[in-house]
Amino acid sequence: MALELIDVHKSYPMNVGRKHVLRGINAVFRKGERVGVLGRNGTGKSTLVRILGRVEAPTQGIVRSSMSVSWPIGFAAGFQQALSGADNSRFIARIYDRPVQETVDFVEHFAELGEYLNMPVHTYSSGMRSRLGLAISLAIDFDCFLVDEALAVGDTKFGRAFGARLQRAGLIIVTHQPSLVRQLCNRAAVLDQGTLTFYEDIDEALATYNSL
Amino acid sequence: MSGSAPGPLLIDCARQQVRVIGALIIREMHTRFGRHRLGYLWVFFEPLLLGAMISLIHGIRGNGSSARNSFEFFSIGYVMFFLFRGLMNRAGNTIASNRSLLFHRQVTLPDMFFARHIIEGVACSGVMFVFTIVGIALGGEAPDSPVKMMCALGLMLLLGQGVALVIGAATSEWEGIDRLVHAMSYLMLPFSGLFFMVEWLPDWMQEIVVWVPTVHIFELLRDGQFGDRFSANYDLTYVAGWILIPHLFGLAGLRLARPRIGLE
Repeated sequence: MALELIDVHKSYPMNVGRKHVLRGINAVFRKGERVGVLGRNGTGKSTLVRILGRVEAPTQGIVRSSMSVSWPIGFAAGFQQALSGADNSRFIARIYDRPVQETVDFVEHFAELGEYLNMPVHTYSSGMRSRLGLAISLAIDFDCFLVDEALAVGDTKFGRAFGARLQRAGLIIVTHQPSLVRQLCNRAAVLDQGTLTFYEDIDEALATYNSL
Repeated sequence: MSGSAPGPLLIDCARQQVRVIGALIIREMHTRFGRHRLGYLWVFFEPLLLGAMISLIHGIRGNGSSARNSFEFFSIGYVMFFLFRGLMNRAGNTIASNRSLLFHRQVTLPDMFFARHIIEGVACSGVMFVFTIVGIALGGEAPDSPVKMMCALGLMLLLGQGVALVIGAATSEWEGIDRLVHAMSYLMLPFSGLFFMVEWLPDWMQEIVVWVPTVHIFELLRDGQFGDRFSANYDLTYVAGWILIPHLFGLAGLRLARPRIGLE
């Protein structure tokens, strides 16, 4: 089981001409791999995640998936801001055909939101939002979790629980923080100038990234 | 484009779409009417209040003795117009207010519209039922053919849906269109067929109003309500064209719009 990108290009229309964000990306993400994609600001990290999550279509190229892949989890992604964390959990459980109450119970236990679980998402801090998103996605349980930046994991109770959960699932995380990649991943790639380069050795990837 | 192997079965896709629409309906009810259980009653209250007011005004103006000025003529007619106008006016912000949900790949643009339309349709049939009962209680006769009335409501819903899909697709590209839509939805009120039967009009006006699709639906409604008391003129094939063609353009437009909508 894998998620595959074959010669993926993405460009957006600008006032004059087009902005080419991704220029021919080839990659295979296998089930169980924990891949960190490092990229500086504005290199197209979020675009890449959306294409991997198949919520945005590439301008050219093919995305092929034979495993269940989460939605792109980030600060705001996929939430209705006016609804509470619990309501958002229910909505997502419904569209992924998972038991609603179990999902809410899991999120309550895992996201450490306390009273905020029943408050509108727009009242959340960014850390709370990313915990909510991750908790819901863990409750749904995918073969591969797609994470866009926004991780307040670190060495917290939540971070350790999240890390433990990931031992039996795949992860693709795009970030500009080398420490996250070192903490969570067993494979790394660098996104630069619209192309993605894989490194079998994480230290090598970090060295390349730091020299950009 | 994206693909997956092996392809999912049609029945699974249908189940998924039903799930998504169901979840969208619940979500829409929460955002529009809050979390209180009684809040849902608002969905009925708005058309109920407006319909009652309109028919009251007309009842006073035309002493309310004949079917022509009766409570049920205006109240039920107004609910139908309210349905059509509601679908039209809400179409412009449907995509914007649901955009964050596009992060879930099973949520599609048409689903957002379908979910809203089901809510409006259920609310208006409920209110139509209430007005029918009230009409009888006020001394009117029972409807001649409730089935025809329900068909009229269904056709109005579909007509509004087609128009809403087109407006939704168009506003995602040109936002200004939404302003025009609101003005148009008011301007069309006198021509909609809500206030008249075609047979009451002079010949030259009849020839013009039969081009308006809602006129045919109102004629069907009144045929169901009053039977032989009026002679109704409607051509349902003409209405079907007005339903199918906008659906075709609207769904195609939304398909074109989807890759152009940014995800924040």
